[in-house]
Amino acid sequence: MDVAAILKSIEASGLATRIRESLFLFPLIESTHVIGLALVFGTIAIIDLRLLGMASTQRPFTRMASDILKWTWAAFALTALTGSLMFITNASVYYHNFFFRTKMALLVLTGMNLLVFERTAGRTIHGWDRDPSAPRSGKTVAALSLAIWISIIVMGRLIGFTTSRAVVAPPPAGVNFDDFLGTPSGGGTSATPPHD
Amino acid sequence: MKQFADWLSTTSPSVFIQTHNSWVIPTIQSIHIIGIGVVLGSALMICLRILGWAGLDQTLRQTTSRFGPWLTGGLWLMLATGILMVIGEPVRELVTFSFWLKMFLVAVSTLIAASFQINRRKHERRWEETLMQRRSIQGLAILTFLIWLGIIILGRLIAYDHIWGPWSPATKA
Repeated sequence: MDVAAILKSIEASGLATRIRESLFLFPLIESTHVIGLALVFGTIAIIDLRLLGMASTQRPFTRMASDILKWTWAAFALTALTGSLMFITNASVYYHNFFFRTKMALLVLTGMNLLVFERTAGRTIHGWDRDPSAPRSGKTVAALSLAIWISIIVMGRLIGFTTSRAVVAPPPAGVNFDDFLGTPSGGGTSATPPHD
Repeated sequence: MKQFADWLSTTSPSVFIQTHNSWVIPTIQSIHIIGIGVVLGSALMICLRILGWAGLDQTLRQTTSRFGPWLTGGLWLMLATGILMVIGEPVRELVTFSFWLKMFLVAVSTLIAASFQINRRKHERRWEETLMQRRSIQGLAILTFLIWLGIIILGRLIAYDHIWGPWSPATKA
């Protein structure tokens, strides 16, 4: 089975069809994705600013990490789940989208960044736990982390501008679709891409 | 409102954003989302501190002086980028049910956040010693956090206002 066939079968799955055909599901999944990523970015930024010595400098790093990172991981799980649900509705379009691919690569990169932290500043954590900032390697990881996560957010938004959703919800009774501005309809693309 | 939105869309700042929309609008929206992250992360930390689920090595005052300014700053950032989005796409934003319900909830949650800060400064010791443990206060903290989540959902629903059916002005001629 080649990639195209796998993507097509993902799109044809019952779950994907259910989301595509619902008026509410895709918007609600997307909203939950925004909540998840806001929490991921917001909590990671708190940790990164601590490592950089720019905020919460008087708190032990390990204390903050144990307070905050469980929320980051929970939010990340929510974001990954909702992201996957959006992906399956239009798998082959997202798969071939440049910004989607870049976003996935950046996610891998941020994972590698985390591994670098574990193998450098993370090893000597008890030596600098109460210092106002992490050693140079920790600061570099933190700066990279902020830059990568901001890029991930930008890529995510650009995916919405460069793909037209496959969601073809039937118009509810009494709705005049002529009045819609910038509402993408399934299928084709135009010179100025519609977005949501 | 439709007339105002139509007029706004003919003004030069609006025309500039419309003619450069391929990069201006995604950029503004991305900055807006970064603002959401800052505000929600800060609101979460204050909420968790009130509930006693995080930051117990810090007083409430320390927690709010760490996250309060970021929350306020994030809100200003979102106000600025939000205004730019309205200027750039007036009809898409203003002629929706989601937008106005969102604005109402923004006003409510900002009011709650501001009165919390004022009250906390006024009765600093009572907040640290008794008020935080009160069920009603903890419930209000959770409710406020849920309102922020509702605001985020409504922000996204501006793009899908038709889900409101007859409540959406976008569905009327």
